[in-house]
Amino acid sequence: MRRLGFATWLGVLTLFLMLAIIVGVLYGPTPIPLMQVLTILLHPTQSINSIIVWQIRLPRVAAAALVGGALAISGAVMQALLKNPLADPYIVGASAGAGLGAILAQDFFPALGLVGPSAFVGSVAAVGLSYGLARGKGRVQMLTLILAGYAIGIILSAVGTFLMLLNRENLSTIFAWEIGGIHGMTWGHLWVPALLILLGSMAIWPFSPDMNAFLLGDEQAHHIGVAVERVQLFLLLAASLLTAAAVYLSGLIGFVGLVVPHVVRRLTGPQHRRLLPLAFIAGAAFLVIADTLAEYFPGIGTLPVGLITAFLGGPYFLYLLNRQNQRTVGGM
Amino acid sequence: MSGLSFNQVTFRWSKQSDVFGPITERIPQGSFVGLIGPNGAGKSTLLRLAAAYLKPTAGEISLFGRPISQMTPAQRARLVSVVPQSLSTNFDLMVEEVVELGRLAHLNLRQRFAPVTPAHRQAVSQAMEATGVQTFRRRHFSALSGGEAQRVLLAMALAQNTPLLLLDEPTAHLDPGHARHFLELVQTLVDQQHKTVLMAYHDLATVGLYCDALWLMHQGQVLMTGNPETVLSSSMIPQVYETGFVHLSHPRSHKPMLLFP
Repeated sequence: MRRLGFATWLGVLTLFLMLAIIVGVLYGPTPIPLMQVLTILLHPTQSINSIIVWQIRLPRVAAAALVGGALAISGAVMQALLKNPLADPYIVGASAGAGLGAILAQDFFPALGLVGPSAFVGSVAAVGLSYGLARGKGRVQMLTLILAGYAIGIILSAVGTFLMLLNRENLSTIFAWEIGGIHGMTWGHLWVPALLILLGSMAIWPFSPDMNAFLLGDEQAHHIGVAVERVQLFLLLAASLLTAAAVYLSGLIGFVGLVVPHVVRRLTGPQHRRLLPLAFIAGAAFLVIADTLAEYFPGIGTLPVGLITAFLGGPYFLYLLNRQNQRTVGGM
Repeated sequence: MSGLSFNQVTFRWSKQSDVFGPITERIPQGSFVGLIGPNGAGKSTLLRLAAAYLKPTAGEISLFGRPISQMTPAQRARLVSVVPQSLSTNFDLMVEEVVELGRLAHLNLRQRFAPVTPAHRQAVSQAMEATGVQTFRRRHFSALSGGEAQRVLLAMALAQNTPLLLLDEPTAHLDPGHARHFLELVQTLVDQQHKTVLMAYHDLATVGLYCDALWLMHQGQVLMTGNPETVLSSSMIPQVYETGFVHLSHPRSHKPMLLFP
């Protein structure tokens, strides 16, 4: 299945994303017929249905697409930087930093609606702290970065848990946030993170050959002409901004950043100039579908989207691992 | 002009560690130099300094007359390439994709999105032909045997198209047949394309058959340099290796070989 052309997969996945968007707009607690949805999309009116489509469902679908795309790209970048196919966007402390940021905002400024921005800052700060610690003097070893991120994650999570126990009335809010979900999205809320995600993704793409080189190890990447430390720092920064923007919009949604790059590598191989754009589109489509299911799960109603991604992503990931073990030993 | 020159180069990992150097040596352009010495003598450190992967604590290293410290990574990678002892990856890169990576330092911004120009294509396929990896270009690099993988790494260095090549024990994992083909290929590159090669090597029965000159290293110093005959017959060899050798001339080429007594 792998070496179908890039153009083919680009077409297929884009079509898939468009279908997902239409389904996302179509499907919800208020039934609106398909033809009416399409008419409304082309000619907005002042009707209730038009407002539901344009002001409630579309911003939500757009947010899901952006978050899915951002997490997929961020995951692909972290996997290349750390040369580890099991890396995800949160691996160097981003999730714990975001969590603590959200808890602090909820505890101390509950009225200001700062949970998203504060999570954003916490996420970037935690990655920065991990990098600073791993840096020490001289070259940054990526293994040290993983370990530093792990340690920072444990510490920040502990602080967060402590604060949550002190202030128990916020427990359910924070818990819901940590599972991840896209609620009450408006266009006004969306445009800053959207810009960050789109620009960040485009800034990452030219570094595709460098990311390919990192797959051979940092030393060989140096020998073939990559400015290893500068590129690593840039990519880490860009990926953590993407992650933080996603966290700002939706809390901590798991599995997308881990699974989507894997699936896309199956389709077109590990070359990043193909992998990154396809991962963005695939991640966007995946999360739009997961979020649509989460919004209106048949027979249950609303579920956190993080639950859906875990239910869909976890088993699929196991299936991939199993298939791979049968095929070769090692090698992603 | 020298291809590679060390001028009073010293290096130490930290204040407490042993000092490497000072080393002042040069390799004339177009020569094939073997770097010998016991384990821990500093051969890999010297190669890493020459590739700017390590920065000298003092002194200067030049490639073709230009100080390496003043080059950008891409400029440096257009002058010097490195073939490591082995390389592994967790990802499914195809052989062809690995060889293409050798072109990285030659890409301009537009080519970063698709290096499809005839020049790049040609460099990649020439490198694959010269090393005989063409036949398995679509296989996964991680699934290759040691001999195949080593030829792919040489192909990547050839695609990089640098006048200087640094080889670190390139045949350590190869059987005698593959090792011989590999060394003859390197020799061809020196003879026909005027490449300059510095190769760290352990096998004293073989190194004198291929190299034009040898550098003997011990405890972070280059103890002596010279043609293989001189270096291999030196009394320093049994001292630094702490064992005696039998010195022979190859029955056909009359080149020097050291064997266990």
